Amino acid sequence: MQFFNVVLPSESPLNQIAAGLGPNDLPYSLPIHPNLVHLTIGLFVIAIAFDFAGAFYPLEKRIFRFLALPVTRPGLHDVGWYNLLACAVISFFTVTAGFYEMLTAVPLAGVKSTFGLESFVTMTWHGVGGVLILLVIVLMTIWRGYQRFVWRKDMGRQVQWPYLFAGVVMMGVLGLHGTLGAQLAAEFGVHITADQLLAAGADLKEALP
Amino acid sequence: MGLLMLEHLLPPLNDHNLPWMDTIHPIVVHFVIAMALISVLFDFIGVVTGRRALFEVSWWNLLFATSAIFVAIMFGQVEAGLANPYGDARNILNIHSTIGWSLAGVLSVLTGWRYVLRAKDPLSLPLAFLGADSLLAALVVVQVFLGDKLIWIYGLHTVKVVEAMRAGLV
Repeated sequence: MQFFNVVLPSESPLNQIAAGLGPNDLPYSLPIHPNLVHLTIGLFVIAIAFDFAGAFYPLEKRIFRFLALPVTRPGLHDVGWYNLLACAVISFFTVTAGFYEMLTAVPLAGVKSTFGLESFVTMTWHGVGGVLILLVIVLMTIWRGYQRFVWRKDMGRQVQWPYLFAGVVMMGVLGLHGTLGAQLAAEFGVHITADQLLAAGADLKEALP
Repeated sequence: MGLLMLEHLLPPLNDHNLPWMDTIHPIVVHFVIAMALISVLFDFIGVVTGRRALFEVSWWNLLFATSAIFVAIMFGQVEAGLANPYGDARNILNIHSTIGWSLAGVLSVLTGWRYVLRAKDPLSLPLAFLGADSLLAALVVVQVFLGDKLIWIYGLHTVKVVEAMRAGLV
């Protein structure tokens, strides 16, 4: 039993700024969010990886000695802490840029992703999920700070096992989340000049010489 | 016979013109871009603020960036070979490949130099290294800019462009 159908105005709010947008639906030629993503993911993954290295230091000691590579346990954990701290700061900008570029996104019509999802669902997961991931990164940074400066200040292994476990789970989440983002680009053509030109019926031989 | 084996070395190409689900090179470069840039940043912060513990963080990030770039180049070469660049993307891909290999050299030399510096005194960093850091950061930024153009302007390996390519439209 359906009483009302949703009524959508034909004009997208994007039309209000259309005059200032290029063929990639952005006021500039290259999107910013995917570049900041390099930093968010790289810093997070390496932070967790080095805390693993610090946690298993007693096992690796001999390997480092064999390689003649001087190493200290606090040094490994320093990477775990500072990289995560940098990740937390930078990720606010990653999400901010992502939000703006999501607002101006015009996914190609009639496309279903490799996951079998349409563009709106993909963008919803990627957008809402992105904010939640930022929240987790910030919470994990606070957690990591407490371990470093309070709870495990005088201990060789600076991190708790549940922290490392959370880190591994988050790497999986980031991988899945990043795949959705990659699909928005490579499958839905969001903010890709060539894809948008092709969708508009342009001849790339002339439009993109 | 040898050719036949080579043909079956990789799975068949999908709608991204790739033998795997999606481009891998842009994922591996997370660990070159982020680690190289953060290494440079921590060096500068370390020198300016006197937080010398950061030099150790820089060193490990630099070492990781250097290891990662060779993996990035391996996937980059395979995916570039399957990219079918058109128009100006051909030149951009050439320059991107050249800078990519050069960056592997620059990163390796910097890592070797840093290994020696760190072995001598892990708590000091000569000003010359900050100069080299600046060159590294500049090269990374240019390289990212060129890679960005290949995907965000020319859409290499995107479904829409691959479709047009197979239809002979580009």
